[in-house]
Amino acid sequence: MLSRHYGWHGCLLHVDLNRQSIRTCAIEPQLLHSYLGGRGLGVRLLRDAHHREPCSADMPLIFAVGPLGGTAAPTSARMSVVSRSPLTGTVFDSSCGGSFAWHLKAAGFDALLVTGCSPQPVLLDIKEGTASLVPASRLWGQTVSVTHQALAGAGSCAAIGPAGERQVRYANIITSEGNAAGRGGLGAVMGAKGLKAIRVDGRRQTRVAQQSRLAQGVRDVMRLLKASPFVFGDLGISRFGTPALVDVLAQRRLLPAENFRKTLSAPAIRINAAALHQRYQPHKRGCHGCPVACKQFTEAGDKLPEFGSLGHFAALGDNPDLDGIVAAARRCNDLGLDTQSAAASLACWSEIKGDFPRVEQLPELLEMIAYRRGVGELLAQGAQRLADELHQPQAAMTVKGLELPPLDPRGGCGLALSYVTSNRGACHLRAFALSHEVLRKPVATDPLTFAGKARINTGAENTCAAVDSLVACRFALVAAGLEEYAALLTAVTGLDYTAGDLQAIGERIFLTERFYNQNNGFDHRDDVLPPRFFTSGMAAAEGADMAPVDGEAFADELRRYYRFRGLDEQGRLPATYLDGQP
Amino acid sequence: MIRQVRSCRDKLHAAGMVRPERLAILVEDDQLLQEGAEDLLALGRDVFAGTGAMAMMIAEPDVPLQTLIPMSIAADVHSLTPLDTETRTFLHDIPVIRRHRGPLPHREIIAALRRRKGVLVEDVGLIAVGQMTVEQTYVNLSSLYHALFVSCLLRLVRSGRFLGAAEKDLLRPLVRSLSVDIPPAFADMPSDFPDNCSAVRHAMAQAGRRTVELKLVDSFFGNVSCRSDQGVLISQTGASLDHLDECIDLVPDDNSSTAGITASSELVAHRAIYRQTKARVILHGHPKFSVIASLNCAETDCPVSDCWRECTRPRSIGPVPIVAGEIGAGGIAETLPAAMAGGIAIVYGHGVFACGQQGFRDPLQAMIALENRCRREYLNRLISIQGAF
Ligand SMILES: [Zn+2]
Repeated sequence: MLSRHYGWHGCLLHVDLNRQSIRTCAIEPQLLHSYLGGRGLGVRLLRDAHHREPCSADMPLIFAVGPLGGTAAPTSARMSVVSRSPLTGTVFDSSCGGSFAWHLKAAGFDALLVTGCSPQPVLLDIKEGTASLVPASRLWGQTVSVTHQALAGAGSCAAIGPAGERQVRYANIITSEGNAAGRGGLGAVMGAKGLKAIRVDGRRQTRVAQQSRLAQGVRDVMRLLKASPFVFGDLGISRFGTPALVDVLAQRRLLPAENFRKTLSAPAIRINAAALHQRYQPHKRGCHGCPVACKQFTEAGDKLPEFGSLGHFAALGDNPDLDGIVAAARRCNDLGLDTQSAAASLACWSEIKGDFPRVEQLPELLEMIAYRRGVGELLAQGAQRLADELHQPQAAMTVKGLELPPLDPRGGCGLALSYVTSNRGACHLRAFALSHEVLRKPVATDPLTFAGKARINTGAENTCAAVDSLVACRFALVAAGLEEYAALLTAVTGLDYTAGDLQAIGERIFLTERFYNQNNGFDHRDDVLPPRFFTSGMAAAEGADMAPVDGEAFADELRRYYRFRGLDEQGRLPATYLDGQP
Repeated sequence: MIRQVRSCRDKLHAAGMVRPERLAILVEDDQLLQEGAEDLLALGRDVFAGTGAMAMMIAEPDVPLQTLIPMSIAADVHSLTPLDTETRTFLHDIPVIRRHRGPLPHREIIAALRRRKGVLVEDVGLIAVGQMTVEQTYVNLSSLYHALFVSCLLRLVRSGRFLGAAEKDLLRPLVRSLSVDIPPAFADMPSDFPDNCSAVRHAMAQAGRRTVELKLVDSFFGNVSCRSDQGVLISQTGASLDHLDECIDLVPDDNSSTAGITASSELVAHRAIYRQTKARVILHGHPKFSVIASLNCAETDCPVSDCWRECTRPRSIGPVPIVAGEIGAGGIAETLPAAMAGGIAIVYGHGVFACGQQGFRDPLQAMIALENRCRREYLNRLISIQGAF
């Protein structure tokens, strides 16, 4: 379809599970040019459905790849899974690597849109240009690993586990390479549709408009990745994976313990990159074609946890046990649970109950969550709902219902602000303030001041939205920027894009999300951090205590942020916002 | 914010790379802050909003590159590719806005600044933008300056084009300054190896500051390290050489902590030098004339096309070897250590690494001597080609 296109195929695969029908349709070029792909395209395709109930039959679940997918552009084998989250009620996108996205693109589609609900469990089988639905009752009830094994073969597979089937509010979708579309419970949306798994196998090439310009652009990005301490440095993620962050974050007192009542400092050494390396001698692997390859695997082929999982499970006790944490993270992935929300919900429940679980109790607890047995029924609702239910709402370390990642907002003002302005709830990757507040890129900023952070976050949120739509990896952003990715996009599509254009596209995507949320009842009252961060500092065994967030400075900077975004004092966009948008 | 603006202005003045009265800074943070020359600010107000940037700096460099460069390139050339590795890595190419004696093409300037971090505007000067902070804009401006300075001066001695009287007039202040050496101001620096951790940090900060005070290097590019019992102490990535006090990471040899993930991108090169030589301190910067000298290769009909990475021919400036190798994981760690036997080496198109077995006095002395030699040789060559100034 649209063979005159470079970069995009111009083609959407629509699967209606109510009618068990499959059809392909064209996507208007203007939408592709204005929303790119991935997160942006997914969000745009949700326009007429964004108010529907997250797990209702008519709520679309969208898998969208980007114009750079399938090309030599570094870190571009990614997709965004987009829908409305049963955990937060917001529009939600999860960026996901591995090779599923690469195959979906190579099958000839820019996006897969699933609606309806199948009366019997099904598997969606996608081949180049075609797709079919296959009964999957045999697989229903199986873990993620068993499902992947049953479907192993050419291509890639994305599946849900028991958690998704039972619509745990933070169930993930997990690819056969071990990558998760995580955090917001999009696995529950998939489970509600009776869709157990999607298998995709494609070989089609992405058409590139200007090969030599692309080659030049790739060299430019590679040179930057190689010059980046965070990426290819001796201590960077290419060598150590995201656990490379543990030590520097512990040093900055950013790692929480016991539901953000303490910081994890010395014990962090037990879960750092060196400890993982000593214990498991990991092999590294990457998403399809990625030069960085930041994923770490054991000899037996088990994926080792990322920084977020390590941090949250370590935070459950003051004596982290590496084997226990690795086992818990693996159990989560096999059950199809989000590691971070699972651990954070447990932390919230533990605080209320006054007793944190021992690491050997974790597998049983995680299973209870995934199967919604006993206390698992409560835990499966996520930290905010469980804290409300237990009449201790202040114990929920959440924003808009999403559990914070293991990064303490008292340690970074830009980080703190980004948690509340993120359209999907507390997430450090939406404005990626770690990049400048910790990693000193593209320029170092003082983490302990709010000055300038509203402006910086506004730009960074736009940048991240654009990168999530190309789709490229957030980690490449620490080294390269929109300037380099605009050059890649121009080379691939033959259309002239500048960094400034990508910023504008990112802004459109971000504000569209905010507008959907607004229509679903969100406003400034939801742009709040848990009160704990304003009233108590972090006491640590050694080193100086970290002060609480300065509430007044925070409120000031948030007001400034609203002005930069063109929002009124209630944090609202004009009701006509979408009228002028493509 | 006004504090950040003034601090960057003062740094630019101190570095001497721009004419103090010919500088304008615009910053958008809730409201528009402006500081500097009114005519440049007027231009800034016309183009700033269109770029979407957070800050903009417009400056006339000390050497009038905005006039010299357009005179030295063909009328249809609209961009320059920096030759020096570091700016090549971060700037890719530099748009050159020609005005052909007409009015300033504002739309062209805006379009260029939406694509790149900075531009050269004929007869006006350098314009740099930053998306995040004023300091970032300052870094972009200094990169732009460094790249264009190197490119312009190299062209003067290589293009085979003879300079007219007007160009010679413009160059005369630079030529005069080259006949005066950078002073050997290191006598007050300890010659011994610092004996404790805080003395090490102090010595590193002092060495970094001194290279900037002597105008040997621009502050943002370079790094400093020291071998200690516990590992390598090294300046952080993006740290400014004149403000290293709080910006030093300790990287243990066995990687038992990765907290040094914020260390300089040249950590890998520094570690390789420490492993393979007796060095205990390393000083690295980008003295401009050493960089120009390394790029001024006399080879003709050479099979190598990517000199930055692939050149293997032994070249040197006197006893100081020149090696190829790109920054970070780009190969420099493989080529550099073997070249450090004499304590100092130049990386092609990049900068100078100097090491010492005691304090920072020896490497600083060596770096100053090398740069002075390169300045004199450049001056001699310029005069031999272009005649007296
Ligand atoms: Zn350098």
